[in-house]
Amino acid sequence: MAGPSIRIKPAGEPSKSTNISGEDSSHRLVAFLQSQSQNTLTRLYQKPSSCLSIFRLLRPLERQLVMNLLWLEMPVPASTMAAWVTREGKRPYHDALATLARLHILPQSPVKHALNPTFKSSMRQAITGGGSSGSFGVLSENDDKHPPPDIEALDAYALERWETILYYMVSSGTGQFPARPSQGVLYLLQRSRLMANVHGNTLQITSAGFQFLLHPPHEQLWELLLQYLQMAEERQMDLVEVLSFLLMLSTTELGKDYSMENLSATQKAMLEDLRDYGLIKQRTATSRRFSPTRLATTLTSSSPPLPTSTGTGNGSQAQGFIVLETNYRLYAYTDNPLQIAVLNLFVTLKSRFPNLVVGQITRESVKKALTNGITADQVISYLITHAHPQMRKNKPLLPVTVQDQIRLWELEKNRVKSQEGYLYTAFASQADYEYVLNYAKQLDVVLWENASRRCFFGSVEGHANIRGFIERRSAAGNA
Amino acid sequence: MDKPSHLSVILDLSPTQWALCAQSANPTGITLQTFLSQLLAFLNAHIACKDENTLAVFGAFPGQSGMLYSSTGEITSARTESTDANTYRPFRTLDSTLMTLIAERLESYDSTTEEAPIGLVGCLTKALCYINRAITTSSSSVTEIEGAVASVDPRILVLSVSPDQSSTYIPIMNSIFSAQKLKVTIDVCKIFGAENVFLQQAAHLTGGAYVQVERTDALLQYMMMSFLPPPAIRQLISVPTQDRVDFRAACFCHKRIVEIGFVCSVCLSIFCQPVPVCSTCRTKFPIKTLQRLRDARPLAAAAPPTKPLAPKNGTATPARPG
Amino acid sequence: MAPPAGRRIGDDFVDDSDSDVSITGLEDEPSRTKSKGKGKAIDRNKKDKGKAKAKEQPYAWEASYTRSWETVQEDEAGRLEGAVQDLIARGRRRRLLAPAAAIRRTIIRHLVLVLDLSSAMMDRDMRPTRFDLMLQYAREFVTEWFDQNPLGQIGVVGMRGGLGERIGEMSGNPQDVLKAISERHKLEPNGEPSLQNAIEMARSSMSHLPTHSSREITIIFGSLTTCDPGNIHDTLDECLKDRIRISIVALAAEMKICRDLCEKTGGQFGVAMNEGHFKDLLFELIPPPAQRAVARAGGPGANPAADLMIMGFPMRLPDTSPPSLCVCHSQMKSEGFLCPRCLAKVCDVPTDCDICGLMIVSSPHLARSYHHLFPVKPYAAVMSLEDTPDPSKRCHGCSVAFRDTPSTMFGAAGEGMSPLGRYRCPECHNDFCTDCDVFVHDVVHCCPGCGK
Repeated sequence: MAGPSIRIKPAGEPSKSTNISGEDSSHRLVAFLQSQSQNTLTRLYQKPSSCLSIFRLLRPLERQLVMNLLWLEMPVPASTMAAWVTREGKRPYHDALATLARLHILPQSPVKHALNPTFKSSMRQAITGGGSSGSFGVLSENDDKHPPPDIEALDAYALERWETILYYMVSSGTGQFPARPSQGVLYLLQRSRLMANVHGNTLQITSAGFQFLLHPPHEQLWELLLQYLQMAEERQMDLVEVLSFLLMLSTTELGKDYSMENLSATQKAMLEDLRDYGLIKQRTATSRRFSPTRLATTLTSSSPPLPTSTGTGNGSQAQGFIVLETNYRLYAYTDNPLQIAVLNLFVTLKSRFPNLVVGQITRESVKKALTNGITADQVISYLITHAHPQMRKNKPLLPVTVQDQIRLWELEKNRVKSQEGYLYTAFASQADYEYVLNYAKQLDVVLWENASRRCFFGSVEGHANIRGFIERRSAAGNA
Repeated sequence: MDKPSHLSVILDLSPTQWALCAQSANPTGITLQTFLSQLLAFLNAHIACKDENTLAVFGAFPGQSGMLYSSTGEITSARTESTDANTYRPFRTLDSTLMTLIAERLESYDSTTEEAPIGLVGCLTKALCYINRAITTSSSSVTEIEGAVASVDPRILVLSVSPDQSSTYIPIMNSIFSAQKLKVTIDVCKIFGAENVFLQQAAHLTGGAYVQVERTDALLQYMMMSFLPPPAIRQLISVPTQDRVDFRAACFCHKRIVEIGFVCSVCLSIFCQPVPVCSTCRTKFPIKTLQRLRDARPLAAAAPPTKPLAPKNGTATPARPG
Repeated sequence: MAPPAGRRIGDDFVDDSDSDVSITGLEDEPSRTKSKGKGKAIDRNKKDKGKAKAKEQPYAWEASYTRSWETVQEDEAGRLEGAVQDLIARGRRRRLLAPAAAIRRTIIRHLVLVLDLSSAMMDRDMRPTRFDLMLQYAREFVTEWFDQNPLGQIGVVGMRGGLGERIGEMSGNPQDVLKAISERHKLEPNGEPSLQNAIEMARSSMSHLPTHSSREITIIFGSLTTCDPGNIHDTLDECLKDRIRISIVALAAEMKICRDLCEKTGGQFGVAMNEGHFKDLLFELIPPPAQRAVARAGGPGANPAADLMIMGFPMRLPDTSPPSLCVCHSQMKSEGFLCPRCLAKVCDVPTDCDICGLMIVSSPHLARSYHHLFPVKPYAAVMSLEDTPDPSKRCHGCSVAFRDTPSTMFGAAGEGMSPLGRYRCPECHNDFCTDCDVFVHDVVHCCPGCGK
């Protein structure tokens, strides 16, 4: 049996670059939008706020192309446009054109290019202001009785909601019963296969769920929201309204109260769901106004969607709290139950102090994570994104030994390769054995042989032939 | 590649030059009002590109300079807390702050008195100080999240209408060198008036674009195509480059812009005519040299291009560009 | 001039020395001036420089502990951050207080860098070896030197096997020089060094230079012997006649002849005690030297070295212009520079025009050195706002808000620190923050308020 060939990715930079918000891949939402019909998209582009938000999610080159074309009245010949890019830019340029065409922002044309007129007029309106779409959210009038919530309260609220969801997920298998998120959230988690009904009605986290936990918050948020969008279609909600409301939220301002008056029935219905996810806050369930939280306002940006502080007053935690040493010992400066629970997925925690958790990355702990469906790369990228500022001075950031070892442990799991076949034993004589074995070798189907025990293992493809050979032989012998 | 970028815009707001520009017929001028509305669209577009993009606007006024807007909120005006649901709020704040401040500043100028030279140097140095602080704080503080986000990729865009002031030669050169050190790109957009030697050098030395606007009605398109892309994108999208760079300098004695100068060997001060004593370092020059140079000068001055100094190997000397 | 103890931890931050134990020197100043041993390695001529390393770290074994931790005070919340930041700011500010008077400098410099490539350079007393360290520092030196002396030229000579060896020709292009010393395997040390041969070689390569440029030889010397064919004192006299300034950085110990060479020609001599000190000594040779020799020679009246030169500032053609032949190589090219006098096209600047003989330089080259001539006046620290009628709320440079209340960390006000973090320009009376103060004086060399 040939040992599995071991190929270890070089530790350090390459793995990092692929992890940080994927430089060359489009945003998740953009991929989702590309699958939508032209009709849907055109309706979506009627709102300036939607255009602005989608524009922000595009890649830099795509944004620049849109901006170049935005203020032109006449279509531009394709050859002129091609002259804008340098030689190195050719490939990204064609990629960008393809993406824009799929989004129906820049319809594909071999001769002349012009922006989708709906998109163009909305985008211009977004930039210059004016119009009467009211798509950037209507602020509610100042109310002395109920002043808009301050930013800290909003942050705390968003954090509490979001962590409740994650904490529920992470502790679902452990027998603890933390606060349950609302029914809508649970349904969404189940729909997205992050959690599954195992026996009876207890929800259990799935391997997709474990992977989800290690993603950066931004991706988690979009993952759930995309599920929500898909669910919206089934629930007979108008996708355009759902989307444009989400995109509008991303252009709203933190710490302001918005009025519900301009919202459609669908959007009002959404408020309840979004409240559960922590994207918006309402004073009471029947309140006529809502205020977006940081989760909502940073939807289309890459700044951290969760407030910087997690629980304690020390602001350095959101930047990273993990110190990993070459001896596999891990120090996590945190008292956040969620973070500790997530760490517990792949670290053997040893001791706990008021603001510090000490643990060790061991073979067992990593194998436990691997059996849960988490990959070594995910563990490593989690450690990298949450590394303590002090760790960031190291180059490479994580100790190479630990990185390699985690990958090796993953390979260890793949050590055994199974192959179906048949074991041939109980040959009457050594000559018999060798005769058959020889035949099997000629067919190249022998996987393993043991001469002293007179047995060998052949693959399933060769069985019919070998069987026929033995039968023919024994028939000849008998005869 | 997709990282936030910082843009510092320097507006040349000389009332006289703008008045001239508005009246100009060939090339067609542009009024300050039209210009500002196009500028706002451009600034909004910069912020629209990415939520984390930062912006600072500096105004160069006659004899003065000052910050007009900054997205980190250093400058606040009496904000109009309007509830306009049709405009993205950061755009609205930017527009109103900028317009109010410019109007305030411009109104305070007396049109009868002679105009002081424009405060371009003050703006440049302030923009550099601002960028310097942005760089140092983002690299030293612990608030950086992903490490890569910290690099702000700063640029300065100068929108100029005034001609060169030779008195500012040294400060401008010093600013250019500090921009080089900070890796700041300086873009120059010359909206009105003749070519600006110093700003040309600024753009050339920092790898920026120098654009002389020929059609003011297309100003916005010029700005979008040439100045919106951050340096990273400029490797993919070609932005207009400069044709020729004029490396002339200003002399220290009369602040004239010269192409042949007399240079003190001790301190490298430039003079437009032979002087007996260096005004900067008080070095006295030998009489012989002075005489030799005086003799040589009329020849050099009177016999410019036409003098048939036979080109070697029949090389055709290219005509001096106008 | 023993610095007060309170300053010392600040030095640690600035000089990034590797421990928080800073080291006091033997405080008896006179013993260092003119006596034996490495201890007096510092040439007294440049006492104006803040030479933190040499002064405060004579030898590792002579060090005594400074209780640096006692100078740090906690603030109200019991945190050290504020104190540390103040100390850093203090250190940066202190550098600025060095004299800023305009001195005349020789700015067109010609330098021959003489590298010791004898077997003594394989010693490992400096890590990794003297040779590797020397190459590394030489590269940094060249880069930095050209940054500060854009019109200068550097040639490189090696001492190996008793001979002088030309490694790099005189060149004004840093890339040429760096390339010459980049190939380590071509410079493998062996044999004995010869000071005389190397100096003669350097001298001959500089003999043709015009009078208004400086001629310097900088020697990095690791050996304790020199193997010369003749009388080195004759060479010394020749150098004096040619007004060549010799500076030596020795890596082993002081040699009488080395000190003589430097002192007689007006150069600097130093013995490096450790890696950091080696770098300090070498990098002190970078700023253009004040023209001491000249002033001594004939007074300001008859200054033979000074001269008025005629220079042309060219026009650069882009690479999109129609191609034409250049006068220097007779090749068809589109890019190039036009001589302002005869309009001939040359490929590179600075150069002499092949047609009319005009010296063509690009003006930014000249301008790079102007900040030496017109330094920004030092800003005065604002001690209180009582006599300011309407203090500005924000820094005039970067618009950062000033703190309202004076910092409490100031045991000793003074040392040019402002408790309010405000520094005021004496010309335009605008206030600046600490960051801008340092940035304006170190980098921009131009006050944002008054534009000077």
